[in-house]
Amino acid sequence: MGDSKRHRILMVSDFFYPNFGGVENHIYLLSQCLLKLGHKVVVMTHAYGNRSGVRYMTGGLKVYYVPWKPFLLQNTLPTFYGTLPIIRTILIREQISLVHGHQAFSTLCHEALMHARTMGYKVVFTDHSLYGFADVGSIHMNKVLQFTLADVSQAICVSHTSKENTVLRSGLPPEKVYVIPNAVDTAMFKPAAERPSGNEITIVVISRLVYRKGADLLVEVIPEVCRMYPNVRFIVGGDGPKRVRLEEMREKHSLQDRVEMLGAVPHAQVRSVLISGHIFLNSSLTEAFCIAILEAASCGLLTVSTRVGGVPEVLPDDMIVLAEPDPTDMVQAIKKAISILPMIDPQDMHNRMKKLYDWHDVAKRTEIVYDRALKCSNQSLLERLSRYLACGAWAGKLFCLVMIIDFLLWRLLQLWKPAEDIEVVPDIVLSLDEDRGMSQDFQAFNEDHSLR
Amino acid sequence: MDNCIAENPSPTRAKWRKVAYGGMQPGFDDNHTDECFLEGMVMNANVVKRDMLKVMQDAISISQYLCIVVLVGLVWTYTLRSTLDESSLLYLDVSLLGSGFLVLLLTEEMLSLNLLLHYLVNVFFFTTGLFVLAPIYQTLTRSISSDTIWAVTVSLVILHLFLHDYSGSTVTAPGALKNPTLTSSISLNASVVASVFIASRLPSRLQVFAIMLFSLQVFLFAPLVTYCIKKYSFRLHLCFSFSLMAMTLAFVYTLHRLLFVLLLGLLVFVTVVCPYWLIRMQEYKFEINGPWDEAKLCFDITD
Repeated sequence: MGDSKRHRILMVSDFFYPNFGGVENHIYLLSQCLLKLGHKVVVMTHAYGNRSGVRYMTGGLKVYYVPWKPFLLQNTLPTFYGTLPIIRTILIREQISLVHGHQAFSTLCHEALMHARTMGYKVVFTDHSLYGFADVGSIHMNKVLQFTLADVSQAICVSHTSKENTVLRSGLPPEKVYVIPNAVDTAMFKPAAERPSGNEITIVVISRLVYRKGADLLVEVIPEVCRMYPNVRFIVGGDGPKRVRLEEMREKHSLQDRVEMLGAVPHAQVRSVLISGHIFLNSSLTEAFCIAILEAASCGLLTVSTRVGGVPEVLPDDMIVLAEPDPTDMVQAIKKAISILPMIDPQDMHNRMKKLYDWHDVAKRTEIVYDRALKCSNQSLLERLSRYLACGAWAGKLFCLVMIIDFLLWRLLQLWKPAEDIEVVPDIVLSLDEDRGMSQDFQAFNEDHSLR
Repeated sequence: MDNCIAENPSPTRAKWRKVAYGGMQPGFDDNHTDECFLEGMVMNANVVKRDMLKVMQDAISISQYLCIVVLVGLVWTYTLRSTLDESSLLYLDVSLLGSGFLVLLLTEEMLSLNLLLHYLVNVFFFTTGLFVLAPIYQTLTRSISSDTIWAVTVSLVILHLFLHDYSGSTVTAPGALKNPTLTSSISLNASVVASVFIASRLPSRLQVFAIMLFSLQVFLFAPLVTYCIKKYSFRLHLCFSFSLMAMTLAFVYTLHRLLFVLLLGLLVFVTVVCPYWLIRMQEYKFEINGPWDEAKLCFDITD
């Protein structure tokens, strides 16, 4: 622990294990690394099916599965004040010093941050996605984000493009936004001992087959590449609404023996699929930060990707070939990738990735953000209300009203259920086994996955 | 290619780069905001600069169609009051049909004899069908009270005006490229239903047939005729619109003073006030584009 303070962090999001995805992975791995640094981390999310109540995960990570059922796309029903009692209880019981919310799309995160600010806790927010400005959904989302970020202590974005996007959407001053990218578990994603031999080149695609991830681009690109290079085959992993189109494309061009469709690939098997290929193809139409590319690079694959969002910042130029989201350009990029493939050494790429991305580094940088956040001054309700008023002519007054009611409800709750009555959890320090390496932890994560 | 270079204040400090790999950049905090921040942002790239006169000319189409609908309403009112009898209605129908065809002949460049014959045959079938079905329309709403009929008709006409496609025509000449949109189909259906409701209030079968023929002629073919006129010559379009507006205002004046004032106010609002308002609001337009936008596919997805 040294001379830096020990923080007590509450991570809040709708998206956590047993759901799988970028945000879920990020929260889990960041929490594990923060626990290693000696801080206390508690995660709060909503109940998943029967999984409700308190659970403990590897390393003593305590997870509160609050019994609120999700109503739309894994989001809890937004009730504004319904979550205030449970959040207050958790914050007092665990003696939290800082609340860290994840993902702008999560209603639980917004509510938790709002209540935490009312009760005077410091708040950090991490944004994981890019959003537009023009359609109705985005306009609404941006207004909600403006409300939450009007009074946040610090904010974190996963790439520089994401920082520009967040600053424009929420009106935050850029100095308050930190750029801390995701990382990859290089111990789990090791390249194969021997590269797949033979003169066949295998291109791997693993993504959800939806419009946003560019499945339509794949439908145009795959037949063209198969026509130009008779020794290229494709492995497509993942499922989604666009799978039908890919199957149709396969039938139409008679590519059954050259395009293999694996269906949904469980997270534990992603590595084995990746190491069977030489090139990784990513065709997303929008991406704040693409972790799939990192996993592929860690396994020693050369990446071909569309130049969208934060993707150009993710890998050095010699590990990735970028293309415009246009079929002809992507075919050219694949051609270039095939030509530079003999010069790629997977083990060398893996070793470089170990130096470029590390979850411990991410945790240390996040710790710096927490230290800064805790140094922010405490403000009374009236001072904070002036920040909300700046959000807009009508919206500002509405937000102020919402916060005032929240404040009054909090005071009422303090009278009704005084803080002294809430039992405080004693500090249990698990003896950290020095010999346990990181890889064992992450293997434990995978076991957690399979023990659903 | 996205390497943003910062100025070197001191020789030992490395340049800041817009990259996510490599951990914290030495000498820079994670919240360092470089000069190239928001460099890729493009504002108001697709905004059309509008000219007041052009917008007013476009608004004329809207007021012209408004007058056509008002004229139809007038004919309905006169028929329901028995001011217009069947024979005058039938003359009106035939003359409208004739003038419509004349306009089409004069303005359409590629109208062959075959196509004309095709149109005539369709019109003949249409008219016969209406004549045969007239008894059904007559007894359709006998059990519904008149107030309901007036209320529903007015709301349907308002719906029709709101959702109408003013830029083109829902019923297009064969070989047209654009398919009608959902809202234009809804508006057309609303107008047809309104005509049926009005027709069902009339006493004699011939009146029902005549009024249905008139309403459907106008609602189905008037947009096509006005579109042809506009395509042929803009000045002809303006003359036609102004004369139509004058005629409508004169007729409404003889009917009811208050309605005349309302109609005049509405026409002035649509033709003058709305274009001015639109151009004033354009200053507030703030469209943001940048590298964070979702990429648009340049090809059509054919399922």
